[in-house]
Amino acid sequence: MSAATPDTESLVTSRNAGRVKVFAAQIALAACLLLAWKWGADHAGETYIADPLNVARRLYEITLNGELLLHSLSTLRLSAIGFAIGCAAGIALPFALRLTPRLTAAIEPYVMASVGVPKYALIPLFILWFGINDAPKLWLVGLLVFYPVFIAVFAGIRSVDGRLLNMARILGASETTIAKSVIWRSLQPFFFSALKIALPRAISAAIIGEFLVGEAGIGFYIENSRQMVDSTGVFTGIVIATVMVLVINALLEFIDKRVNGWRPKDRSMEL
Amino acid sequence: MSAPLLEVSGLGKRFAARSREAAPWIIRDLCFSVADGEFLTIVGPSGSGKTTLLNMIAQIDTMSEGEVRFRGAAATAANARTLRPGLDGQIGYVMQEDNLLPWRSCLDNVLFPLEVQGKLDDGARARAADLIKIAGLSGYENHYPHELSGGMRKRASLIRTLVYDPPVILMDEPFGALDAQTRAVLQEDLLRLWSLGRKTIIFVTHDIHEAIALGDRTLVLSRGPARVAGEHVINLPRPRDVQGLLADPVFAGLYTRIRSEVK
Repeated sequence: MSAATPDTESLVTSRNAGRVKVFAAQIALAACLLLAWKWGADHAGETYIADPLNVARRLYEITLNGELLLHSLSTLRLSAIGFAIGCAAGIALPFALRLTPRLTAAIEPYVMASVGVPKYALIPLFILWFGINDAPKLWLVGLLVFYPVFIAVFAGIRSVDGRLLNMARILGASETTIAKSVIWRSLQPFFFSALKIALPRAISAAIIGEFLVGEAGIGFYIENSRQMVDSTGVFTGIVIATVMVLVINALLEFIDKRVNGWRPKDRSMEL
Repeated sequence: MSAPLLEVSGLGKRFAARSREAAPWIIRDLCFSVADGEFLTIVGPSGSGKTTLLNMIAQIDTMSEGEVRFRGAAATAANARTLRPGLDGQIGYVMQEDNLLPWRSCLDNVLFPLEVQGKLDDGARARAADLIKIAGLSGYENHYPHELSGGMRKRASLIRTLVYDPPVILMDEPFGALDAQTRAVLQEDLLRLWSLGRKTIIFVTHDIHEAIALGDRTLVLSRGPARVAGEHVINLPRPRDVQGLLADPVFAGLYTRIRSEVK
């Protein structure tokens, strides 16, 4: 746009003003939470609630001595590999089932029933089966990622507009191309909703796995601090895990906007 | 006339029975043929199986009896299990809905058939750009379908079929959902695009005016089961002025006769 008319100018200004207000409110809320934390630490005592200043100091220390990087990378690696496996299976299985409607009808109730099995209750079994190494943790992360992805992709494949499929066939697209360019593309909103559940879950599952098995990772750091009655360490670990999830969510949001940006926007939800 | 390009004979269709009685025939004993380069319009009341007919010719639906021959090769009820939608790009189909892929821009939608047929080269891109210009979509190449008007979406879906140059194009009331003005403009546009390439077109509509104004020949379908109830050669000179035809006595005569056959 070259010269903005007075109208659009004032619209842009009011929109910016709206954003500034929201941002200010967010900062104020964060300050309140920190103050409440500090107040809680002062009144409940260091054993129960760590002082935020000590946590900040600890974060600084472990950043310098490399501990932060070591544990974060360990948790991230575990989450990433487990996520990749669970996600790949969660995508591949519904696409494979699409080819055999009878098999799908036969196994669907079993898959849906298995959603109800509490996955964390399987950890002892995984340790029994796969030993004290990364394998039981990867199984846990993989399973927790698999279900939301599977359900979303499965539902997404079913909800594809059949007219678009027929159109693509007439235009000469092979079934592989249709799976990739029509079905996969049209279920992206479903897939991203699943990722918003699955990615934080992958981190949580990795941390829980690390509580029990291994000697690195955020989970290990938190559990190790607890055993040494080091509440500052426990809180520091929680802060690191939270930041990790927040960063991943922000990244996901960014990718979601790029992939699903074509969709008509609901103006009432805009600032 | 030379051998027909497309020949429908003894075509019948009924859908699977929902109850114990056999489902009614939607189309029965339907026979007609289309010559190469002919603009055939088919007019019939709504619910007379026009869309089902095109779906069977395009091979996205199975037939219950009879056969459809294209260049001598027959598709029959017997080989229903091996449908070849669009006959490897030889039969284009502009459906009632525009069916544009909503996550692809206007240009990418037009390029889609070339992409999936592995024909996306510089020549094809140039052709797509030309068609976009002719269709009046210049400047809207990067808009998503939901950002275009109904008429523009229709144009985009039409040139998406023209861009890969199928010898036969089926059209199913493509302008049905549009307002009268847009519809008239698009009819003129279609005739102009057709006169450039002279493709074989089977155009289905329930609008008698449209059927006469566009076609070389018009078939009238009866209501359930659909059969050919009348056939009219449209002896109106081309290029035609779609709106100006209303005053033409030949047009008026055809209109009256066809209207008496459409029940």
